[in-house]
Amino acid sequence: MNALRLVRVHSGIALLDLMRSPAYVVPTIVFPAMFFALFDLQVARTRATIADYATLAFVAWAVAGVALYQFGVGIAAERGRPWERYLRTLPVSPGIRLASRTASALAFGILAAACVAAVARAFTPIDLTAGQWLQAFVYSLLGGIPFVLIGITIGYWASARAAVPIATACNLLLAYAGGLWMPPQYLPEIVQKVSPFLPTRQFADLLWSVGNAVPVHAAGGLAAYAIAFGILAWIGYRRDEAVRYG
Amino acid sequence: MILEFDGVTKSYGSVRALDDLSFRVDRDEIVAMLGPNGAGKTTALEIALGLRASDSGSVGLFGGSPRDVAVRRRLGATPQDSGFPDALRVGEIVAFAATHYPRPGSVEETLGAFGLESLRGRPTGTLSGGQSRRLALALAFVGNPELAVLDEPTTGLDVESRRRLWDVVRGAAAGRSILFTTHYLEEAEALATRILVIDRGRLRFDGGARELRERFGAKRLAYVGVPLEPGALAPAATVVRVDDRTVVTTADSDAYVRALVKSGVSFSDLEIGSPSLEEAFLSMTGGSKS
Repeated sequence: MNALRLVRVHSGIALLDLMRSPAYVVPTIVFPAMFFALFDLQVARTRATIADYATLAFVAWAVAGVALYQFGVGIAAERGRPWERYLRTLPVSPGIRLASRTASALAFGILAAACVAAVARAFTPIDLTAGQWLQAFVYSLLGGIPFVLIGITIGYWASARAAVPIATACNLLLAYAGGLWMPPQYLPEIVQKVSPFLPTRQFADLLWSVGNAVPVHAAGGLAAYAIAFGILAWIGYRRDEAVRYG
Repeated sequence: MILEFDGVTKSYGSVRALDDLSFRVDRDEIVAMLGPNGAGKTTALEIALGLRASDSGSVGLFGGSPRDVAVRRRLGATPQDSGFPDALRVGEIVAFAATHYPRPGSVEETLGAFGLESLRGRPTGTLSGGQSRRLALALAFVGNPELAVLDEPTTGLDVESRRRLWDVVRGAAAGRSILFTTHYLEEAEALATRILVIDRGRLRFDGGARELRERFGAKRLAYVGVPLEPGALAPAATVVRVDDRTVVTTADSDAYVRALVKSGVSFSDLEIGSPSLEEAFLSMTGGSKS
């Protein structure tokens, strides 16, 4: 398949470019695991159920954060560069480029999540089965998609300068209110009311369900976010094209 | 037909970048688009590449639209300003570009043709100006396109590097068409089979280098003094003021000298010679110097 090959080549070259900057890659990948170790490890060590719960929440944050922050900011910075202009002259459709960005963002997010999992395996009594890990992996890939699309939307709608604070604010607020750092029942009451409607909470609910039935509200909510931000990202891409090249 | 612009107009706000521009590029032609900065060359190129849409008029690339991905499989272009992702290596970037085309040239041979074999493992961020230009050209040609579009392929290089690059481009030209922009007349003359002169968005000339020289540069006169009144001009001429000197480009310099003497205008330090193409070019674009 020619389209698949192009997705692979485009995401491959983007990842290759990133991996050559270890000063950027290492902190990005290690950061969620470090946060997990600093803030949740103490509690997670006490019991397997808590370890499962906290680890999966941080897996969600690792994937969502990388997708949202790194790629949103990245696109905003790249938009005006000559290389981006050159890529637009190549025979490749915007859809394939969007798919490539999603693939490289998810690959990166999965690496960050793997670090969280490694810390959990090493220091907590986490008791997920191999089947549940596999499920968590698949859910991470699928559940990460709306976050990549939110990141891309920020990247195309915000200026390079504004994208950093916007993505940071989205990442931290969504992580907090979605119950990724502390169980949702410990959040303030008003936040608890909003929480189920946030994509981060839906992502966590999805991951917490490994071994059980897929929670419909979470899967449906994430799909709705993916569609909404997919459309916004597409409009943003076209809008940028019109402004920059119209 | 490779590329055809028909009555293409493009404005940015109140600035008219292209004004009813029509031209074509045929099979196996090397066409130079020549003009000063701000003439509209870049806009024309961006429309040809599908990066921009025109306000009116039509653009046909291989009979289709340059916005169509399938049409662009037959097109190769150089990146602008040699802005490559600087952690990627020369060989990786050339291989990356090649994967987009149905019948690309081999990466190995392309690196060789553009003098990049010894640089294949170098990060692009460490390349010199001339090396970056060669990489940019390699990207335009590696897909083995029917039309290669080169945006100011040698701007910013010294004369010797430019000459070397011309040889490289000539070597890569066989069996395809090339459209390139430049503001060096010498470059247009050295490479092109046909030259388009563009100024302020309009096509001023479309023909060969010799015709360009004949049409616009039979003789060149220069003297210290004021130009003749328009009514007193015997032959058709283009007049430019350079400081206190008047520079006249005309097909009949003798007639101009007779008219000058007859008019009684005081002049001194008269020189008569063949103009450089650069001067012919300046006179053609209304003396606007870039």
